[in-house]
Amino acid sequence: MNARVPLLSIDDLRVHFPITKGVVLRRTVGQVQAVDGVSLELSEGETVGLVGESGSGKTTLGRAVVGLYRPTSGSIAFRGTDLGTIRSEDAKGVRAQLQMVFQDPFASLDPRWPIGASIGEPLRIHGVGNRRERRTRVGELLDVVGLPRRMAGRFPHELSGGQRQRVGLARALALRPALIVADEAVSALDVSVQAQIINLLQRLQREFGLTYLFIAHDLAVVHHISDRVAVMYLGRLVELASGSDLYGKPLHPYTVSLLSANPVPDPAVEARRQRIVLPGDPPNPASPPGGCRFHTRCWLRERLGSPERCASEDPPLRGLASGHTVACHFAEEVADSPVQRHAVGAGD
Amino acid sequence: MNAEPVLSVRELVVRFATDAGTVHAVNGVTFDVGAGDAIGLVGESGSGKTVTSLAVMRLLPKAGRIVSGEVVFRGKELTTLSEHEMRGLRGKEISMVLQDPLSSLNPVLTIGEQIAEAIRAHEDVGRRAARERAAELLGSVGIPGAGDQLERFPHQFSGGMRQRVMIATALVLHPKVLIADEPTTALDVTVQAQVLELLHELTKELGTAIVLISHDLGIMARMTRRITVMYAGFVMESAPTVELFARPRHPYTVGLLGSIPRAGADGELRPIEGAPPDLERAPVGCPFEPRCARRIAACRETMPPLVPAADASHLVACHNPVPS
Ligand SMILES: Nc1ncnc2c1ncn2[C@@H]1O[C@H](COP(=O)(O)OP(=O)(O)OP(=O)(O)O)[C@@H](O)[C@H]1O
Ligand SMILES: Nc1ncnc2c1ncn2[C@@H]1O[C@H](COP(=O)(O)OP(=O)(O)O)[C@@H](O)[C@H]1O
Ligand code: SF4
Ligand code: SF4
Ligand SMILES: [Mg+2]
Ligand SMILES: [Mg+2]
Repeated sequence: MNARVPLLSIDDLRVHFPITKGVVLRRTVGQVQAVDGVSLELSEGETVGLVGESGSGKTTLGRAVVGLYRPTSGSIAFRGTDLGTIRSEDAKGVRAQLQMVFQDPFASLDPRWPIGASIGEPLRIHGVGNRRERRTRVGELLDVVGLPRRMAGRFPHELSGGQRQRVGLARALALRPALIVADEAVSALDVSVQAQIINLLQRLQREFGLTYLFIAHDLAVVHHISDRVAVMYLGRLVELASGSDLYGKPLHPYTVSLLSANPVPDPAVEARRQRIVLPGDPPNPASPPGGCRFHTRCWLRERLGSPERCASEDPPLRGLASGHTVACHFAEEVADSPVQRHAVGAGD
Repeated sequence: MNAEPVLSVRELVVRFATDAGTVHAVNGVTFDVGAGDAIGLVGESGSGKTVTSLAVMRLLPKAGRIVSGEVVFRGKELTTLSEHEMRGLRGKEISMVLQDPLSSLNPVLTIGEQIAEAIRAHEDVGRRAARERAAELLGSVGIPGAGDQLERFPHQFSGGMRQRVMIATALVLHPKVLIADEPTTALDVTVQAQVLELLHELTKELGTAIVLISHDLGIMARMTRRITVMYAGFVMESAPTVELFARPRHPYTVGLLGSIPRAGADGELRPIEGAPPDLERAPVGCPFEPRCARRIAACRETMPPLVPAADASHLVACHNPVPS
């Protein structure tokens, strides 16, 4: 391993949202622990995938990284500089390095502006170049994302979903960022268009050395695009591993059930695999279960005769194999077990 | 193929009259469902899956019209049935589950009232009996504390619970056919698994034939025995599920399979370039022609008929199918 400073390091990050009651007299009645103690490092040029159920805190984490949410506690550092304590005159430059693309670029594009103006807006805000230079740069950005330059005059509603996502990418690339948080950026697209955008994302990464935090609920897409994958459950990171380890040898019972539940486009695998169907819905993040947050739905705990430890003691993330960390007291029981093999649909 | 299909759709054509002109939404869709069978309609958005199912149910919005074709349910032609007769069938003989159950549940009625109403619309039972059936039904789909839950309103249920209620309600009168249009698209993977499991268990137990509509080939692989691939309102290919994944013959199907990331298939995805056609233009020739690498002269002239490829159960509509 080299001792280089990671591009981004997230350290024990918490983002809590107050739950308020009352319209006139607002009072805080609780906290949604949307992100609750997440640590994660991203190296230059890598793609880290982030998966987990709805409400597990993926978007909140992504938004905190690009500065759209203030951490409740913990820190985020970019190339070693803590974004929380950075001098305000430096902040703008660093923020420009961190960009986000969203599921629905429609929502982030002004419907009254031609898309060329939307793509050029970050340049204008950051005072990059003069008018002519900015127009030239917008043209280059359109080339880069594979849209004809004449489209600059079109309005968002005149574009298809895939074209709008290309515009969203062009806008995110305008300030030559180092890191892009892609939040469900291909989720709303049809598979043939989705594949075009995924290929584009990968080409841009090679060309510009981009680092991605890639948030998506589609496990196959995340597998395809990611070097490493992080799994979140109720505001916590429960497992982190290389793509091949996470998908081939998942260690957290939640990851195992997630993979076993995910339908794969192969009838032979679907016919032979055994699914672990979790009971109930994910608990409310405003009042997560104590101890291990997964213990109310955990199939492994049940198999082990409901050990008390799961309900009382919060399992820390620990390394179980090289580059593979997991937050479960009993992950050794999963390693190389038949359940693990069946969940991923491996033959016997 | 099964002896006698319970539902048979033949050359169905549906158009919409809009301000901008005619939308050619469905251009000759054909498929069969045998009793107790599970078939899938797969295609990208706008390919006509929902319009096809709404036409079968005779629930097209005002602007939509069945221009031609047949929908035969147990020997009865549905396209010409009166609305009154159709109402007797809907929910009782053929049922439907939609993507977003919130839009199909009445927000001001409790869950209990909605289920009871569905029962009482077709069966002459008292309020009490209907309520008891409703409570039983919630229990059967794994919703705990069924008695209390009956009093709650749809928005107080999670997406997964609502979809389970919808499925249970759709099956309460033991219909012969269930059409499920993207029933899990809005749900998380783990909740999706619960809903698919329920769908599978109930339809198997009751012998209900299911037409599952989805753009997700993984769900198709898990849930169906036969798949019909749609594009621009046409059927491009139709084959037993295992056969379709192993030996796709239509260039569009091959493109679709190349577009999805699959375990073991590393490297770049092979997307289909371009975009689907504008349905406001009357289709001439094969709608996939502008995007197809295998196109030949005939492709611009005529839409190829859906005919058997290698064997009778594998149908392809293509002038120049991919060799198997
Ligand atoms: N601005 C906010 N105010 C209050 N609560 C919030 C806010 N943003 C998010 N939350 C809550 O924080 C939790 C995590 O939400 P988040 O959007 O990060 O989830 P997610 O993993 O991105 O989910 P999805 O898969 O649905 O996008 C949820 O319970 C959500 O309701
Ligand atoms: N009410 C409507 N008026 C006009 N066009 C419609 C209407 N409903 C659907 N369409 C058009 O019919 C085509 C098929 O739509 P649909 O069946 O909803 O596709 P799918 O369910 O496969 O995504 C699309 O081009 C769509 O825009
Ligand atoms: S710590 Fe216990 S409850 Fe949590 S995942 Fe491990 S076995 Fe399950
Ligand atoms: S008919 Fe022609 S254009 Fe259409 S899919 Fe077949 S080869 Fe391609
Ligand atoms: Mg989100
Ligand atoms: Mg639809």
